[in-house]
Amino acid sequence: MKIEIRNLTKRFDGVTAVNNLSLTLEGGRITGIVGPNGSGKTTLVNLLSGFLPIDGGTVIIDDTITVKKIQPHKIKSYGITRTFQDIRLFEQMSVLDNILVVLTERNLWCALFECHRPEHMQKAEEVLRMIDLWDKRDEPASNLSYGQRKLLEIGRAVSMEARVYLFDEPFAGLFPGMAEIVESILRQLRSQGCAVVLIEHDMDLIRGLTDYVFVLDSGVLLAEGRPHEVLQDRKVVEAYIGN
Amino acid sequence: MDILTQLVINGIIAGAIYTLIALGFNLIYGATKFFNIAHGVFAAIGGYTVFFFFKLSGVSLVPSILAGVLLAGIAGMLSDRLIFLPLRRKRGSSVIMLVASLGLFTALQSVIAIMFSNRFQTLTDIFNIQKTYQIFSGVITQIHIVIIITVISLTIGLFLMLNRTKFGKAVKAISDDEEVARIIGIDTDRVIGYVFFIGSAIAGLGGILIGFDTGIMPTMGMGLLLKGVIASIVGGVGNIYGSVCGGLLLGFVENFGVWKISGEWKDAIAFGLLIIFLLFRPQGVLGK
Ligand SMILES: Nc1ncnc2c1ncn2[C@@H]1O[C@H](COP(=O)(O)OP(=O)(O)O)[C@@H](O)[C@H]1O
Ligand SMILES: [Mg+2]
Repeated sequence: MKIEIRNLTKRFDGVTAVNNLSLTLEGGRITGIVGPNGSGKTTLVNLLSGFLPIDGGTVIIDDTITVKKIQPHKIKSYGITRTFQDIRLFEQMSVLDNILVVLTERNLWCALFECHRPEHMQKAEEVLRMIDLWDKRDEPASNLSYGQRKLLEIGRAVSMEARVYLFDEPFAGLFPGMAEIVESILRQLRSQGCAVVLIEHDMDLIRGLTDYVFVLDSGVLLAEGRPHEVLQDRKVVEAYIGN
Repeated sequence: MDILTQLVINGIIAGAIYTLIALGFNLIYGATKFFNIAHGVFAAIGGYTVFFFFKLSGVSLVPSILAGVLLAGIAGMLSDRLIFLPLRRKRGSSVIMLVASLGLFTALQSVIAIMFSNRFQTLTDIFNIQKTYQIFSGVITQIHIVIIITVISLTIGLFLMLNRTKFGKAVKAISDDEEVARIIGIDTDRVIGYVFFIGSAIAGLGGILIGFDTGIMPTMGMGLLLKGVIASIVGGVGNIYGSVCGGLLLGFVENFGVWKISGEWKDAIAFGLLIIFLLFRPQGVLGK
């Protein structure tokens, strides 16, 4: 699994949020993306998941598919999934349905009747137990605490069985116990060969978890490399202190 | 005949009719988040299809009604394919969608008027000599009973569809967050197309039932739409159960409101109720 980003650009009136950015996301790696607030991290995820149209540049998936335009309904078939910095769940649904809705088969027969096959239920149970929400499965998603909502969104992404995971600040605001769950999920995805992207401000987490780091500043790639080396880079330190 | 019982019955009948329009309106609003003004015209399309087949062409009752419901549904689905879907793709704002739907409403209403004239028409005479039934000390006609039973069945049907089918889950997912629904693999354009079909078909059935009750006119859609919209807002916009709640409340308030005064005040009372809700409880009785 590999995603190559070449000269990616995104402008909002006045701001170039992502500026001629080139980087590669590899399978079997947790790739850290760091940078001060407003440096374009979320915009990058929005571009890769089709939430925002790309203004310039290309994305190459697995050396074979070259796209200049990523359409949101194709995201699933590319094997890409994501979470949101501001959690987005299906609020009207139960916790269990938030997971089951992504495991659905969408042929006509199955659309008309509830036919979650046993393996769907099994998968949903496995995911909900992993994020410690199995006991809350019948509660509406809107009843959960902030941390539980964050975990449920991560659980929903994991249920997609994607190959590229874009996690936008998954640790923000989590208590240590929950953060451990997220850590183990990221490691597990990496061991399965997935390309895992982690946007994170906590440099200890970046050092401990990631294999490779890209540093953004004002939409431009400031530095890249192994976390220990990159995070000592003077430019990087200055970009952070400067803000 | 006891006036109080009769007012309750009338309130339920009016409420059932408003619910019928609000159900489809809310279903479509939930999925698309815009006020689909054109919704009213699909009621007229249903009514006039039955008028054409049943009254003018002598086709028997049931196939005519089926044709009316189907045609209203198809017209609704086409309106999405040809107008609203392209606007959604261009990320048109909900105001743009509203204006487009108003345009569509006017255009379709004119087409109906050109084809069938502006005159008030009755669908049939069979219900003029229709049976009435005694309930406690009030009376109710056969067509009113049909309307009430239809609304109850439709509400239960929609409830089951939304809560017991995967299609329903997809609809809920879309009404919660269309963008996320799309990236988890739901074909949102198709699901919304079906939602338009179902919602417009229900409006068509509403137009047909009203046609049998009183009669039809090309302009019938706007009045129905406004009452349906009031019922939706009062009950909770985008909420299917809010449609029933708002529809009944509106029906009761209207009918009890004119207990001691002239019936011409009904519309004023309806809009009064709307304004009270907009000011003091804009999320409606049930909320989102
Ligand atoms: N939808 C948008 N419309 C206009 N400007 C935006 C939008 N999204 C992001 N921006 C701008 O782009 C820049 C990068 O934002 P963002 O990607 O959210 O940064 P980060 O996630 O690194 O904090 C910021 O200046 C922000 O204000
Ligand atoms: Mg961000």
